[in-house]
Amino acid sequence: MSNVKQQIYAEIVELAETENLAINDDTPLLSDGSVLDSMKVVSLCIALEDIAADLGFDFDWTSDAAMSRSRSMFRNAGSLVDEFINQMNTKK
Amino acid sequence: MIIVTGASRGLGRDICHRLVTAGHEVFGVARSVDGLPFPAMSCDVGDYEQVKAVARQLKADKASVTGLINAAGVAAMNLAVTTPRDTTERVIRINMMGTITCCQLLAPLMMRHKSGSIINFSTIAVALGLKGESIYAGSKAGVEGFSRAFAREMADFGIRVNCIAPGPIDTALLRGITSQQIEKIVSQQIFPHQFTPAAVSDIVDLLLDRRSSALSGQVFHVGGV
Repeated sequence: MSNVKQQIYAEIVELAETENLAINDDTPLLSDGSVLDSMKVVSLCIALEDIAADLGFDFDWTSDAAMSRSRSMFRNAGSLVDEFINQMNTKK
Repeated sequence: MIIVTGASRGLGRDICHRLVTAGHEVFGVARSVDGLPFPAMSCDVGDYEQVKAVARQLKADKASVTGLINAAGVAAMNLAVTTPRDTTERVIRINMMGTITCCQLLAPLMMRHKSGSIINFSTIAVALGLKGESIYAGSKAGVEGFSRAFAREMADFGIRVNCIAPGPIDTALLRGITSQQIEKIVSQQIFPHQFTPAAVSDIVDLLLDRRSSALSGQVFHVGGV
């Protein structure tokens, strides 16, 4: 697992405050069965901004599509990691 | 830093002047920022991409934002049935959508610090249902409804959201309104006289201050209703 992915998963686990939580790419973030409520997803975004800043780019989570259930980067943990890495590769 | 939209004129300009005089770091947002004596960025708050550019710039500057005052607004004094469609859309776009967009895109600058105060602007016309101000009142009623719900969403992040609802304050926004019309409106207030911009700035001072830490989701009617 990439270092970035590990960092993002670690943030999700910390925010979820659930014991023995195992995160994988299919873990839902903004849909039925989500491990985070919407406010914690926002906190996750702020944490991701900090990770991005450390990596030298600006992570944008306020796009029109960000919170769309069908297209959102927050569909699941995997889609969030993909979007984060995509922005990192595009912006750095 | 306190962000003020509508910083170049009217209540926004007076509020900026008060804040700068009190030693606050002010960042102005306005369509025209020429000559403003504090850092500012040109932006039409009714344009999502322009507001996003402001947010991006402040984020890049690592601005420590503690307040957002959404004072940008336009008025439309006319009967709804005689208000042109483009005027209606402009009033809704700037007053309601502009306020919502600024909150959406600029509040995240405060959320990471878990503190801050957002002040949105409504109008006494909402509470009084003033004849001839239906479009304007409708746009501001949207601001009030949004602000009450947004206050709950921001509470977890230590951010307070309130509205100030002025009556006919003596600014350029009242251009074209007769003194008789103003008198008729202020006569419906609890304090039946016209207030100055300073009275509004006093409420802004209060809502930015920690002493108002228990106030959120409220609408403060200048003059009382």
